[in-house]
Amino acid sequence: MIPWRRINNTFSGISERFRQEPYLLINFILAGMILLIFAYSGYFSPEKDDYPVVCIHEQLTGEQCVSCGISHSFSLIIRGRISEAYEWNPYGLRVFIFFMAQLLMRILFSIFYIKHPETNSQLILYDVTVSAMLFIVCFMPFIESILKSFEGIL
Amino acid sequence: MEDFTNSTGQSTGQSSGQPSKPLAGNTMGVAALITAIITFVLAVIPCVGLIAIIPGIIAIVLASIGLSQASRSDSPRGVLIAGLVIAIFATLISFSQIFVAGKIGDKFKNNWGGEIEKVINDVQEDVLNEIENANVSIKIQSNGDTVEINTNIKKGNRHEELEELEKANDVTNDTLEKNK
Repeated sequence: MIPWRRINNTFSGISERFRQEPYLLINFILAGMILLIFAYSGYFSPEKDDYPVVCIHEQLTGEQCVSCGISHSFSLIIRGRISEAYEWNPYGLRVFIFFMAQLLMRILFSIFYIKHPETNSQLILYDVTVSAMLFIVCFMPFIESILKSFEGIL
Repeated sequence: MEDFTNSTGQSTGQSSGQPSKPLAGNTMGVAALITAIITFVLAVIPCVGLIAIIPGIIAIVLASIGLSQASRSDSPRGVLIAGLVIAIFATLISFSQIFVAGKIGDKFKNNWGGEIEKVINDVQEDVLNEIENANVSIKIQSNGDTVEINTNIKKGNRHEELEELEKANDVTNDTLEKNK
């Protein structure tokens, strides 16, 4: 009975911590989401070509968009076939690196947040800044494509 | 006495002996912020950018409900405001994708129309050619008697037949005139 009570106490302690610390809860959920993306990429294979998500942009306009083939690219990167992944989508690797870096950041920042509570405010500020910069760098081709399509239209 | 309040304005609840701040709307704030972050990432990817409107609206609704709850109980609103701002920005990006897709569609509509018209004209021409060069066969059966009419209505043949008929008419007319 004692180990069960200890486990129960540990879980209640963790849930209380998550309730009190939104940063830890957000990190935990985002890490889970990123792991789900990796699981999706690992489950669906480019050989079978059975991806449930199709490009809406291509269906509407009849033109391939800049992010077409990114699911194939992710699946191939997870399987270690980087050169093939690059052929499917040249920006797949940098987006994959973004998600991988975010997963590591969620884990590392959470550990640091728990171990050094006196630096919490600074840590969140660093996290937001680094994440924003990483996002801009990795998603730049997509942002550029959106801006370019506006240029062509307006 | 230490007050562990993070940058988002939420009480960490680690201050010993001090009553923790009310956390009304805290769960809503976390849900809104996570949904807003996911919406933002989705909105920038053109393939799924249009879908991002749905989680974007959900995030805005969650943040608004959380803000109203927090304002009633004077709770910290940092996470809620962050969630609301990111959600609004992401939804705007997603809406811009609809605009872009619609405009690109309009741009290609004329070309697609032209292509369709060309294909229809080609098909019409092919059908007319086939009809003009068709061999028509009519078979009538009545009380054991069978009458079969085979006609070749090729355009070239028709011209020849018409010329022949005209010639024949000329001959007939001449003959008639001579007879008179």
